[in-house]
Amino acid sequence: MTVVRVEGLRAEARGRPLVDGVDLAVEAGRVLAVVGESGSGKTTTGMAVLGEAAPGVTVTGTVTVTGRVGFVPQHPAAALNPVRRLRKVFRELGPPEAVAAALRRARVDPDLLDRYPHQLSGGQQQRVVLAQVLVGDPAVIVADEPTTGQDAITRAEVVAELAEVVNQGVALILLTHDLDVVRALADDVLVLRAGRVVEAGPADDVLTVPRDPYTRALIDAQPRLTTPDAADSAPPLLRVAGLTARHRAAHVLHGVDLAVGAGECLAVVGRSGSGKTTLGRCLAGLHETYDGDVLLDGQPLPRSLRKRDRVAVARVQYVFQDARASFDPHRTVVEQVARTGVRLRGMTAAAARESALERLAEVGVDAAKAERAPSGLSGGELQRCALVRALLAQPDVLVCDEITSGLDTLTQAGLLDLLAGLTCAVVLISHDMGVVARLADRVAVLHAGRLVEHGPAHAVLAAPTHPVTTGLLGHTTIEEASK
Amino acid sequence: MSLSRYALRRLLFGAVQVLAVVTAVFLMVHALPGDAAVALAGDDPDPDRVEVIRRALGLDRPVLERFGEWLWGLARLDFGASVVSGRPVADTLVAALGPTVVLAVLTLVLLVPLAVAAGVAGALREGGPLDRALTSVTVGLHSIPEFALAIVLVAVFGVGLGWLPPTAVGVDVLAEPAVLVLPLVVLLARPLCSISRLVRAGMLDALASDYVRHARRLGVPPGRVRFAHALPNALAPAVQQVARTTDWLLGGVIVVEAVFVIPGLGTVLVDAVAARDLPVVQGLAVVFAVTTIAVNLLADLVAFRLAPRAAA
Repeated sequence: MTVVRVEGLRAEARGRPLVDGVDLAVEAGRVLAVVGESGSGKTTTGMAVLGEAAPGVTVTGTVTVTGRVGFVPQHPAAALNPVRRLRKVFRELGPPEAVAAALRRARVDPDLLDRYPHQLSGGQQQRVVLAQVLVGDPAVIVADEPTTGQDAITRAEVVAELAEVVNQGVALILLTHDLDVVRALADDVLVLRAGRVVEAGPADDVLTVPRDPYTRALIDAQPRLTTPDAADSAPPLLRVAGLTARHRAAHVLHGVDLAVGAGECLAVVGRSGSGKTTLGRCLAGLHETYDGDVLLDGQPLPRSLRKRDRVAVARVQYVFQDARASFDPHRTVVEQVARTGVRLRGMTAAAARESALERLAEVGVDAAKAERAPSGLSGGELQRCALVRALLAQPDVLVCDEITSGLDTLTQAGLLDLLAGLTCAVVLISHDMGVVARLADRVAVLHAGRLVEHGPAHAVLAAPTHPVTTGLLGHTTIEEASK
Repeated sequence: MSLSRYALRRLLFGAVQVLAVVTAVFLMVHALPGDAAVALAGDDPDPDRVEVIRRALGLDRPVLERFGEWLWGLARLDFGASVVSGRPVADTLVAALGPTVVLAVLTLVLLVPLAVAAGVAGALREGGPLDRALTSVTVGLHSIPEFALAIVLVAVFGVGLGWLPPTAVGVDVLAEPAVLVLPLVVLLARPLCSISRLVRAGMLDALASDYVRHARRLGVPPGRVRFAHALPNALAPAVQQVARTTDWLLGGVIVVEAVFVIPGLGTVLVDAVAARDLPVVQGLAVVFAVTTIAVNLLADLVAFRLAPRAAA
């Protein structure tokens, strides 16, 4: 039975088409994946099925839905009210029997309901949101990027839950750029580019023998998990000795020893909460409460950014996970990027601006875009700007915190090419082993604040010794988890 | 961290703060140049009077003994005796506390609902005529200093129209509540703006958040979305401002008490400083410090409940 049918969907904002003639149909118990880059019209299409449109967007075409539509938003943590216990919110959504049934269907432990959302793990939050949506007994669920920013193990859990719900006869429209999730879940795939359907068909056909060159590019751009060749290790430039870091009374890192050679790429991997980001922040002078040493060229770096002089600040630069949050929304991008040159290299404002524009153009952000406020740029573009901002300092060490998560495969591939071409040492914090395999010379695996594995990338990836590494490598793959 | 554990920790910290303040107030007296008694006795000290003050302050005895006595006195709410009137300081303070507390409580009872209502109303109709009118009025009121507003109100409603008593001279504040109307208006004028602006901003953020959008999509009725989902998030930042206002009110707003001749803590403070009545000033310092600490402790607990994530 077809539960959703969309015909001739068009959406326009200020005369510019966002979606241009999309047709789709989903049957009960089937999964349709809508894939494409950011800005391809995925979200607008999903919203149209919900009967919603962003302000200023006019939608035409017919959308027929049999039954109710549920929506699983992108970041479950943001969709849960931080000040309310879950039980009270569930009470508002429906009668107790319906809530109990929904909790069972989404496999949420009823004991969790007495907690606040921040007291749940990412996977639990996702299940709670799913249960909330299931209380209304929807015929179709639209899930927007349900796996963005989740580590491999949580991602497998999310996929398993969605598969379970689909088995119960609910139709699922999956808006995503995560091709692994598409492979694991989708029956049919719809590829969007600039609002138009470039390819549609059964998932197996589209993903294995794509007819359209764009689809092929999307699939090819996905980093493959390969084992890199053995490489000689360079003499250490940055050394971490006996690092034990605390957040208030809680120890988040225990006696970590690491070294990075000049021009080398060290990948720091681990699940969410394993201490990866804290380690990066210690290197960059953003986290001060630690014992042990961070040595650059054998000299200890001051713990706090404030105590580092301009040279030391310039030598270790940091690129944040959330590019949008790392820019001031009220000033133009080029102005903010150029500040690095003025602050850290003593350039004049005009010279800094010129070199910023030049470097931005090299990464595909032209002058017209650079003159906009951050809201006028896509997430991928902003991430490249953030990278240029850090690189203008001519750092010896660049710390990149999950900078490719949440980007579609093509944008991600562009960013990875950029990182691969860098001459400085890179500390790459990631939980995406495909990215790690592409870039890393050496890999350090953190688990619960301890270094559980550390060695050349080829050795760690080819013969992992710790169960966490195996898990992150996806040896318990998404495909298996969804069965 | 649970609320009770947090409360216990804050309470212990508050107790340490009180002890520190009490010690500081005691030491302040001894930091006065020369002999405190001489300093207190005025420009042309009469040796007998200096001696009286010295004995009253116990300056003829060792410091540690006096400190112990000071602490033991405080524990029994004994602040010593005034060097001017000879009355126990505690009696003076208790008498003045009444009008100040009545005024502060009445102000808060009106202020909090009014400010929250104004903030929510403005946020729900952002940019509309009501929002603009509320913004103009509250910002306008905020820009008028208390003394100016007080004098204008007294001139218009007290003297010109004769609707309300202009001052509380010789009146028992509790027996005749009409004398409180004008002071209340003056006390409300400025905090109304700061608190309603914070609620409005918090409410706008909350209404635009993912969790509110998600709740709407789940079919939660609009009224519940606004008041059960968005409002609690909007209140957290306003709580600290309410605490600051409460502290300001309990300190006895000197200008208001002076214009309307209300015998509250502010008046006592002015008189005591003018008369160099050190024991009274010390007593007031302790009372003000303890109120500040207590009010902030309460505000932190409320804020913790409203934003459980922040303190976790």
